[in-house]
Amino acid sequence: MKHEIICAGIGGRGVLLASTILIEAAITSGLKAVASDEYGMSQRGGSVVSLVKVGDFASPFIGRENGDILLAFEESEFYRTLFFLKKGGLALINTRAEGFPSSVDTLLKKRGIVCRLVDADGIARDEGMFQSANMALLGSFASFGIAPFTREVLENTIRSRVPEKFLAKNLAVFAKGFEAADGQGAVKIPQQGV
Amino acid sequence: MQSREEVVIGNQAIARGLVEAGLEIAAAYPGTPSSEILPGVVYFKKMEDVKIHTEWSTNELCAFEVAFGAAAYSGARAACFMKQVGLNVAFPALLRSREKTIEGGLVIVSCDDPGPQSSQTEQDTRLIAALFGIPVFDPASPTEAADVAYYALNWSFENKVPVIIRSTHRVSHARESISLYSPGARKVSLQEGHLAGTGRKLGIVASGMSYSLVYDVIEELGAADVVSLYKVLKVYPPSEALSDFVRSVDRVLVVEETDRVIEALIGDDKKVMGRSDGTVPSSGEITYDIVRDMLSGVLGRLGLARKDLFAPDGTIEEALSDVAVIPRPPKLCPGCPHRASFFAMQYLWPDAIYPGDIGCYTLGISQGAVDTCLDMGAGVTMAEGFYDAFNQDGKLVPILASVGDSTFLHACLAPLYDAVKNRKRFILVLMDNSTTAMTGMQPTPQTGVTVDGVKTRSVAIEDIVKGLGVKYLKIVDPYDVPLMIGTIREAFDYLKGDEMLPAVIIARRQCLLLTKGAAKEAEYPVDIERDCIGCKSCLATFDCPAMSFDEGLKKIRIDDSICTNCGICYYACPVQVKGKALRKLKGLVKQGAK
Repeated sequence: MKHEIICAGIGGRGVLLASTILIEAAITSGLKAVASDEYGMSQRGGSVVSLVKVGDFASPFIGRENGDILLAFEESEFYRTLFFLKKGGLALINTRAEGFPSSVDTLLKKRGIVCRLVDADGIARDEGMFQSANMALLGSFASFGIAPFTREVLENTIRSRVPEKFLAKNLAVFAKGFEAADGQGAVKIPQQGV
Repeated sequence: MQSREEVVIGNQAIARGLVEAGLEIAAAYPGTPSSEILPGVVYFKKMEDVKIHTEWSTNELCAFEVAFGAAAYSGARAACFMKQVGLNVAFPALLRSREKTIEGGLVIVSCDDPGPQSSQTEQDTRLIAALFGIPVFDPASPTEAADVAYYALNWSFENKVPVIIRSTHRVSHARESISLYSPGARKVSLQEGHLAGTGRKLGIVASGMSYSLVYDVIEELGAADVVSLYKVLKVYPPSEALSDFVRSVDRVLVVEETDRVIEALIGDDKKVMGRSDGTVPSSGEITYDIVRDMLSGVLGRLGLARKDLFAPDGTIEEALSDVAVIPRPPKLCPGCPHRASFFAMQYLWPDAIYPGDIGCYTLGISQGAVDTCLDMGAGVTMAEGFYDAFNQDGKLVPILASVGDSTFLHACLAPLYDAVKNRKRFILVLMDNSTTAMTGMQPTPQTGVTVDGVKTRSVAIEDIVKGLGVKYLKIVDPYDVPLMIGTIREAFDYLKGDEMLPAVIIARRQCLLLTKGAAKEAEYPVDIERDCIGCKSCLATFDCPAMSFDEGLKKIRIDDSICTNCGICYYACPVQVKGKALRKLKGLVKQGAK
């Protein structure tokens, strides 16, 4: 099993926590995994990209058009990192928008990219946890059930990572995110060999 | 005996290896990408309940000499950690140390920053090590970094010479699961040699993260049966096996970051492709795409390509060309006290000379209040040079140098004393936010807390400034913008007097990441957009990430989710009461100066 996952967002919004949860979920499921964190200027409101590779890889880097999954925690960062995604890849995007500009729509159809738009900020805000949009997006991702990132595995990893004080609320946001995407029907993810 | 697995970043893995190897003394100065090693040592020494002295040093030279002293004459197992430009600061001691026979063990970890991403320059630690004959390892992953750290400290102890571990930010900040062993029990497997591929026409030699990258790209290109891959772990001294490998293949491609080191050590210009002949880009980080393009090209030229070369789908960029993507250059955080200081400096004298320094506040460049960035401490000494250049022509122009508190203590004591001794007239704005913010909030000597979290004596910056002989010293809250502007004006008047000394203003307010909360200066949300006339002057002079210009409404928009309600932007707005008052004040102080 191999997954190349891109987590993209802006500094201070939990991108690194999300990618850490993904790599730990893979490792506790007995898989080999490696991640790459961007540091340095990331706390200054700049773009943050964290790459996670599950499977027999040596480096934590992802080549252009090689990524399987793109988790965009901010809409503009989706556009900035879209070049990572391979044909037939999966993208989850935190946005209030209900669609894309037509040129992007055409591109995504042409490349067979499956997209799920999730108002993760809205879900988190409704639970009184504005900073937890990352959990909502992870919840939506869990609804796809791509092994090893099932709801159960991700919830257990969140339990081990998130401080007790915020845990119940975070899990509630995660569950809302799961339901938001789950209602849209199962999507078959095309698996293409690298 | 293996105890368990833990997911760590490369820097923590290095710390783990050293702790398991019986480390006794560790000293460091923080600098991206090395900053997490010392806290990693603290974390693991507590986990294992072992006694290790750990300290944040005032600069890298101090860190090196503390570790060397302990290792050289006291027989301790010691280590020091720094970033690549920090090694320059420790350079005098490093060069001398290699000639000494140390009694204990000494490991120097120097983390390079290819790109550079968070440094003023790229620099290859391996080159310095190879030039001056110091053994150097270049691990390719966190897992290997833990093993190398363990091995290197033991090797240094047995051979009585210092050893350098070179990491890069991609190793230091990669995250993976490593095995934790009991102290002294690590099973080390160091891998160097011909590890992958069977082809003889092209041999690839790589080290560090470049090796890991090449390994993955060979897999993607399905090229394992047409190339051979040799991994270098100990860059200097090079092993005999490397020469044998080079002899055994027709051509050699060397992939390494960031300088020509292995390439130069192989030294066969006819056979070797790399940076010398332009096959590898001459600077910048080596990315996956660069390796894929480069290797595809070389395989194509040698007639070895197995698959169609990767061709990027250009329609991605075409489709996105009309989509407005918010640019996100690095900026000071919303509510940052530095932004308020820079605003005041720039507001009074847009055309002053602004020597800058290294830290978060280098970003003052976007507010037009930082002109230079040479190395730590240079802000003060370059201000001296600017003063001399104008003074010689009989001119006294406003020169406003800026430096943060940690950098001041790291590198500016001698420069400021030099300025006092040589009677230089400029204003130094010492931006004191009580922490080393850029590298992850490490304490400064002023904080009075050790890396272990224990309270210690704190050093007051104002006492040091006075002790160096400065007579004009004011401490101002940078959020009080009118007072900042008035004080800068007053300081310039002082420079025109008889004393002939630099003036120092300490702009003191805690970093918002330290206070972990809103500035709470304004009790209600900032509503600058309400009266906005769309002039955009705040964007140019204030440059806050919470501000953006709404092209539809032709007004400034404030992002409530990141705005800290500091309210300083009101000063930057020509229609707000505060902004209008500031204009009057500027007129008054300029008039008063005539």
